[in-house]
Amino acid sequence: MKTIQKLLFTAAISGFLFSCDSNDDPLPIVPLEAILVEDLAAPNDVIDRNTGEVTEERPFQFFSLEQNALVSENEDWDLAFKGTTIRVNSSKNVSAAVVNGIFEEITEVPANATFATDTESSFAIPTGSGNGWYNYNSATFTVTPIPGRVILVQTTEGNYSKIEILSYYKGNPPVDQIDPRSTPSGHYTFRYVLRPDGTSDF
Amino acid sequence: MDLRLNFKPMFRINLIKITAIFLLIPQLVFGAYQEGEKIILDEKGNPIPFALVKVDGQKPMQVDESGQVISPSTGERVMIFALGYETQQLTWEEWLASEKIILHEKSGNLQEVVVAATRTERSVEDLPMPVTVLNTEKIQETGGIRLSEILQEQTGLQIASDHGAGLQMQGLDSDYILILLDGEPLIGRTAGTFDLDRISVSNIERIEILRGPSSAIYGSEAMAGVVNIITKNNSGQPKADIALRHRSFNSWNPSLELGTGGEMWDANVFLDHFQTDGFDLTPETIGQTQNPYKATTAQVKINGNLAPKWDLSLFARGYSETSDGLMQTGGAANPELLEMDNARRDINLNPTLRFKPNEKWLFTLRGMSSWFSTNSNTRFQSSGEVFDLQDFQQFYHRTELQTDYQIKPNQLLTLGLGQLIETVEATRYDDLNRFDAGYFFLQHQWDPGQRVNVVSGLRADFHSQYGNRLSPKVSGQYKISEKLSWQASFGAGFKAPDFRQLLLNFNNAASGYYVFGATLAQEGIARLQEQGLVAQILFDPSTFGDLQAETSWAFNTGFRWKASQRASLQVNAFRNAIDNLIETAPIAQLNTGQNAFSYFNVRSVITQGVEVDASFQVLENLSLSAGYAFLDTRDLDVVDRIENGEVFKRNSQNQTRRVTLEDYGGLFNRSRHSGNFKINYRELNTGIDWALRAIYRGKFGFADRNGNLILDDESEYADGWVSVNLTASKTLSNGIFFEAGGTNLLNTATPAQPNNPGRVLFLGVKIPVINLIN
Repeated sequence: MKTIQKLLFTAAISGFLFSCDSNDDPLPIVPLEAILVEDLAAPNDVIDRNTGEVTEERPFQFFSLEQNALVSENEDWDLAFKGTTIRVNSSKNVSAAVVNGIFEEITEVPANATFATDTESSFAIPTGSGNGWYNYNSATFTVTPIPGRVILVQTTEGNYSKIEILSYYKGNPPVDQIDPRSTPSGHYTFRYVLRPDGTSDF
Repeated sequence: MDLRLNFKPMFRINLIKITAIFLLIPQLVFGAYQEGEKIILDEKGNPIPFALVKVDGQKPMQVDESGQVISPSTGERVMIFALGYETQQLTWEEWLASEKIILHEKSGNLQEVVVAATRTERSVEDLPMPVTVLNTEKIQETGGIRLSEILQEQTGLQIASDHGAGLQMQGLDSDYILILLDGEPLIGRTAGTFDLDRISVSNIERIEILRGPSSAIYGSEAMAGVVNIITKNNSGQPKADIALRHRSFNSWNPSLELGTGGEMWDANVFLDHFQTDGFDLTPETIGQTQNPYKATTAQVKINGNLAPKWDLSLFARGYSETSDGLMQTGGAANPELLEMDNARRDINLNPTLRFKPNEKWLFTLRGMSSWFSTNSNTRFQSSGEVFDLQDFQQFYHRTELQTDYQIKPNQLLTLGLGQLIETVEATRYDDLNRFDAGYFFLQHQWDPGQRVNVVSGLRADFHSQYGNRLSPKVSGQYKISEKLSWQASFGAGFKAPDFRQLLLNFNNAASGYYVFGATLAQEGIARLQEQGLVAQILFDPSTFGDLQAETSWAFNTGFRWKASQRASLQVNAFRNAIDNLIETAPIAQLNTGQNAFSYFNVRSVITQGVEVDASFQVLENLSLSAGYAFLDTRDLDVVDRIENGEVFKRNSQNQTRRVTLEDYGGLFNRSRHSGNFKINYRELNTGIDWALRAIYRGKFGFADRNGNLILDDESEYADGWVSVNLTASKTLSNGIFFEAGGTNLLNTATPAQPNNPGRVLFLGVKIPVINLIN
C-alpha cells in the first residue's frame, strides 16, 4: 500500500450545504469522508499455463475497513483480497451485497440489497467476469471494475460501508494505458465510506 | 455442356431451353438467305439465339438457335427482345428493310445471370431481391489475389479480422453468411468465421452476392446473405494459361489453368500457389500480425454429355495451407518463446447429374462431400516440449435432388429434397460426433402480369440435434416503367447451433475455467461435482431445455433505376431482427473462484441500413461509380438495460454516470458509414485500363475501454480510413495480360485493423500459351 489518503466526499459536502439551507431538517449532518486506498497489492497465485497447477501460492491480504489498514488474519479484518477474489470475514459475521448505482448517489443502504456472508460454497462478492465487481475484456485481456458496481459491507463492528473499486492495476493507470502483459495486476485502488454509528445512511 | 432451366423475362413463351455453350459459337450460314428471313446479331456480329420477335397483334415468335427467324407477311410495329440486350423497336418498314438486326448489350451489371438467388438462372433485373454480380473484369481490376480483397471493395461489405478474414454483410458476422463454391456450401469455420483468404481468385468467373436471408432455399447460415463463387468453365476450347503475380511482403502467386474438351465434354484444371512472408503491425512485440504462410489450391472440373438429355459434371478441389510463427508467453517476468506450426486442409468433391426429359422438367441430383481439418502445434523454443496441440477434423456430406417444373410459361416450380451428415472429431470434443439432417424446399417463380413478378419459397429443416425449422420467404418486383423497378422481400433466416455450441468440452488449464457445449453441460457439471470442484450451481443444467437455432426476420426493399443508357442507380434498405443469439454464460462457480460456462440463447439484435450504388458512363472509355452504406446496429438487451438506468460509465477522473442511449454505439466492429468511389478509364493510345478506387470505412467500435463491455465512449472507436487503390492493366493483341498497381497507397494501417498490412504493390502477367502457339 503506497499511500492512504483521505478525500472529502464531494457529494456529501453538497448534501451538507444543501441541508444547511433547508430548515425542515434540524439534525446536523456529519459529512462523511471517502477514504481512498491506493495500490493494495494482492497478486494472484502463480499458475502454470501448461498444466493449470498452482506453482506458487500467494497469501490473501487482509484489510480492516474500520482501521483503514492491512491487518493479519487473526485480527478483525473485513475483506481479504487475492487476485480478483474478494472474501469477507464470515467468522466475524461480516456480510456484503453488490448493488448497481452511482457511488455518490447511494446515500443509504437500499432496501433491496441482500447481504450475505461467505460460505463453503459461495462468495458474498461473486467471482467471475460480470458477476461481481469486474469485467474481463477478452479483446484487450484486461480486468476492469464494472462502472456503477458498489459493494456494501457490514463490518466486524456492525457498521455499514460502501466501496467502489477503481482499478486492478498498479498505479491506477487510465484504462487505455494498461498493458496486460507488463502492467502489474492484483493492485487494488478503491474508495470507501464508512458510517461509524451503525445506521444505514451514508 | 450446361443443361439448365432458364427462367426468362415474362415475354418468353418457351421458358425452358438448353443453353449449350457450343450453340453460341457462330454458325453463320451464308448464301442460304431466303425471302423474309432475318438474323438477330450482337454488336460483334455473332447471332443471338432464342431472341424473341413480337409483331403487334400477333403471337411472339421464337428466334432459332442460330439467331434466325422468318418474318410474318404483314404487321405494324416490331419489338425484338433478348436476355441481356436492349429491347429494339422497329417500324414495319424498317423491319422489312433490314436483313440483319443488331441488338445492343445492356450496360451495367443488370443483365448478369444469377444462380444463387433462386437456384435457377435469372438475370439481375428480373430478381425481386438485392443482388450484386462481380464479373471477371471487376475481379481483375482490384488486383486481388484472395477473395477478401475483392469483397472489401464492394458497397456494404466489410472484412473483419477474427480467426481469419471474415465477411460482414448487413451488419452481421461471417457466422451468418453462407459461402458457396459453384453453388455448393463451403465448410470449415474457426470460431464461426469462414476465412475468405482460403479462396484464390485467379480462376473465378464471377461472384454473386445475395443480400438478405435466404434460409428459404439454403437453410442454416444464410441469415445475412449468400456469396456464390462461380469458377471458370471453358467452352471445350483448348486452353493453357500460366500466370505469375508478385507483391509486397515477398508474396508470390503462380497459377496454371488448363482446359480442353470436345463436342460432348470439357475439362478444366486449375493450380494455384500463394506464399507470403506476412507482415507485422506491432514490431515491438514478439510474433507477427500475419504469420508467413503458403497455400496451394488444385481444382478439376469436368462436364460431359452422357446421352441425349443426360449431363454429368464432376468437381474436385483440394486446398492445403501451412503457416508458422513465434509467440511469447509467461508474462514479463520470465518470458518463454513459443514456436507455432499450423496446417489447414480442405477437400471438396461434388458430382452433379442432370436429366432433362422434356421442355417442362429438369432433375438435378447433386452429391457433395467435404473434408476440413486444422492442426496446430505449439512448442517451447528452448526445450522443444509441446505447449499445446490442437486437432480438428470435420466431414460434411450432402445429397440433394432438385426438380424444376415449368407449370406454365410464366410459372416455374422448384422442389428440393436433401439429406446431410456432418461429423466432427477434435481435441476439444469427446469422441466422434455426428449430426444428421434432412430438408426439403419449395420455390415458386411467377410472373402474374407484364410488370409484376413474385418469387416465394419455403424450406423445412429436420435436425438430429436442435429440432425442426421452417423458413419462408416471399419477394416481389413491380416494374413501374422500363427504366424503374421496385423490389421488396420478406423472409426468415436461421443459423443452427454449431458443434462448438453443442458439444465443446474445453478446460482452460491456465486460468481454470471450463466451457461445455449445451448438450454436455449436465454431464460436465455432474462430473465436476463428483470431483468436488463445484462451489455453487448458478443454473441447474437439467432445467435448460435444448439450445435453439438463432433466428431472424428480415425485410429488404429498394429500387433499380436506369436513368439513361449511361446512368443507373440501385438502392436497398434492410432491417434484420435477430433473436435467440447464442452466447456463453456461467452455469456454475468453482471452488477456485473460476466458472464453468455453457451456451444459451440470450441476445436479440437489430441491424438496419441503406445501401446505394450509382454508376455513370461519362465517355465511351471513362466511367464512374459510387457506393454508400449506412448501418445501424443495436443489442436490444443493452438498450433495455440502458433505459432502466442499469449501465454506468466512468471517465478518466473516476467519475461515474449513467450511460444514455445517445452514448450507445451499437455492436462493436460496425462502421455506421462506409462507401467507395471508383473511376475506370481506358487510355485509348496505349490501350491501358486504369482502375482507381477509393474505399472508405468509417469509424467503428474497436474494444471496450471503460469496463462496462458496451460501446459507449469515444475512446472505444477506431478511426475511419480511406484505402486508395490503383490498378493498370493491358491485354496485348496476342492475349498476354499485364497488370501493375497498388492497394492502400496512402499506407494507412492500424492495429485496430489487423487484416490491413498498409501499402501493397503488385505486378502480374498472364500468358495464354495455346493462343501464342496458334
